[in-house]
Amino acid sequence: MSDVQAIAAELQSRFSLPEGALKVQRATRLWIETDRELFPTVFAHLVKGMGFSILCTITGLDLGADLGFIYHLAKDGGIMANLKTRCPKGESIKTITSYFPGADIYERELMDLLGARIEGLGPGVRYPLPEDWPEGDHPLLKDWKAKTVAAAEKGAQADE
Amino acid sequence: MSVFHRIVRWAQRKSPWILHFNTGACNACDIEIIAALTPRFDLERLGVQLKGTPRHCDIMACSGPVTKQVKDRLVRIYEQVPEPKIVVAVGTCATSGGVFNGLYNVEGGIDQAIPVTAYIPGCPASPQAIIDGFVKLLKSLEEKKDE
Amino acid sequence: MSDSDRVVTVPIGPQHPALKEPESFMVDLRGEKIDAVRMRFGYNHRGIEKGCEQRSYTQDLYLVERVCGICSYSHSTAFVQAVEEIAGLELPRRAKYIRTIIAELERVHSHLLWLGVAGHEIGFDTLLMYTWRDREQVMILLARLTGNRVNYGMNTVGGVRRDIAPEMIPEILKVVDSLEERTKYYINLAQSEQTVIQRLSGVGKLTKEDALLLGTVGPTARASGVDRDTRRDDPYAAYPEVSFKVITDTHCDVYGRTVVRLGELLESFSIVRQLIKNIPDGPIAIKAPRRIPEGEAVSRYEAPRGEDVHYVRGNGSEKPERVKVRAPTLANTQSVSKMLEDGYLADLPIVIAAIDPCFSCTDRMVSLRDDEAKEGRAMSWEEVSRYGVEWHKARGIDFSRVRIPGGAGE
Repeated sequence: MSDVQAIAAELQSRFSLPEGALKVQRATRLWIETDRELFPTVFAHLVKGMGFSILCTITGLDLGADLGFIYHLAKDGGIMANLKTRCPKGESIKTITSYFPGADIYERELMDLLGARIEGLGPGVRYPLPEDWPEGDHPLLKDWKAKTVAAAEKGAQADE
Repeated sequence: MSVFHRIVRWAQRKSPWILHFNTGACNACDIEIIAALTPRFDLERLGVQLKGTPRHCDIMACSGPVTKQVKDRLVRIYEQVPEPKIVVAVGTCATSGGVFNGLYNVEGGIDQAIPVTAYIPGCPASPQAIIDGFVKLLKSLEEKKDE
Repeated sequence: MSDSDRVVTVPIGPQHPALKEPESFMVDLRGEKIDAVRMRFGYNHRGIEKGCEQRSYTQDLYLVERVCGICSYSHSTAFVQAVEEIAGLELPRRAKYIRTIIAELERVHSHLLWLGVAGHEIGFDTLLMYTWRDREQVMILLARLTGNRVNYGMNTVGGVRRDIAPEMIPEILKVVDSLEERTKYYINLAQSEQTVIQRLSGVGKLTKEDALLLGTVGPTARASGVDRDTRRDDPYAAYPEVSFKVITDTHCDVYGRTVVRLGELLESFSIVRQLIKNIPDGPIAIKAPRRIPEGEAVSRYEAPRGEDVHYVRGNGSEKPERVKVRAPTLANTQSVSKMLEDGYLADLPIVIAAIDPCFSCTDRMVSLRDDEAKEGRAMSWEEVSRYGVEWHKARGIDFSRVRIPGGAGE
């Protein structure tokens, strides 16, 4: 059994993940889907118990009623564990900066661009939007439309 | 044209001080501007020098598509540059926004914020194109002097 | 309160402190030393990820290439690799070799660029002139191979767009040989020139523990003894077929970051030689569909500044559902704060330059806000640099007498 398959097997036996929640894409790519309740435990085990000490980044996705989050974890030797979870829009998830102080800027990006609510982040500066960007305006949402006519026209030109 | 105006134009033509300002570019043009000053290309032969302060600059060389964060600063710096204000848009992004035209955080080119005197296209604008552009600009300033 | 006790906050940002614009760096100064730094990014934020969703994969190649004009090929390749993985495409070996050659030539131009920038920041402009003159060799080579000095347009989904003609092979080797000799002069400079050693040693300290904790990547991390390099750890393109050393160092300072980049240059020359020697014949691309199936992939790439991560999700159409880019500099922002703490303001420019950030990050204006004065003083980045150079000159660091060996002649 390869390294990545051994990792998948351990996660399966420890957490009894549902059918399809685990996917070995290739030798260095594992994808794991968890619900909100299980996420903190799986995350903690991956990071503290299985050596995934690298956080590459956090991808946020607009899934309609929910926001999706993918925590791209990696360990020395190259294997990535991409841990996915989701959360209804308007509800909060907890910060992971106690595990990865560097996650601060990735989490602020989720807040700015997707309107994610993240609990537990200390005071800080927004990223990456300008200070005077309108409140409640999150450009990466699928239904986001530019507020000004000019910007909307430019966007339409790009679509052509 | 008044005598004073002629002198200013002449001084500009002889050794312009350039203020280089990046408005959110990918940096390729900025590096080519500096490369134009290094030995192989050597813009300094023409007397062109990079100076950091708007109050003493003759020409503003701007790169980038103008992100929203930087627009106000660009305008304020332009206001501080003494007359006659000469603005060069270096690169395709500075000219029209380039590939970034239409993106939500981008105004779409230097002339969306301030008036532009000359455009040097290219993605990035090569050092040769930059030198060619500046030579043409300096020549046209000299021709204006004769008006 | 004495001068050394009073904390003065130096915002590095607007032209004039009375104008309410976002500063990029807020530096708390205690006398000449830095207490803390708070940074704001986003200066360069254009909205590329959203733009990717509105454009086809082919158009996105040209957009993503321009995330950064120094490591543009890194972004292009990281992106296209993720797309190819979703589409299940197996590239021809020759395509992988060509990508790797371009990738390493990009690393060479980037590290030489960095050497020059670092030289400029410490008042050693001769180094800028020499390294950028040397760099022109690889810029011209890249233009001949790809059609452009930067933003090569070399990738297509499924491979590369241009082949390397047989007559270019000796040209590539000539540039590699020439630059290897030049690099050895720079290594000698770093190893034996006391002015360089003194100026860069002990500056911008980052322990290995902090580097690991803060998620530092690239030469900055490797200079603190972190033995990570994506080319070895999670190989891609033709890296599985070449052998090279991952360069680490234990100085944990700007000097170490210099040593690592110089060592990496030598490895890049070696890698290019191996690739040229073993490059297989065959096609340079396979046909790729315009619609990329539903699916997702993560691509990791060792850019000159460190690990570059691209996530792509396909939805069966010609346009991606989602593209996420994590450039290496973003991973290093917290380590920069750490490095600046308890250091001198005079070292701020070189410490920031040493993580090799985009130029636009360093294009900031410095604004000195003295709480007692009614009007603030404005300082440009250039002026902070000059302050640093003069400060060190007063302590015996003067580069005007330093000669670079082998400098005479073209």
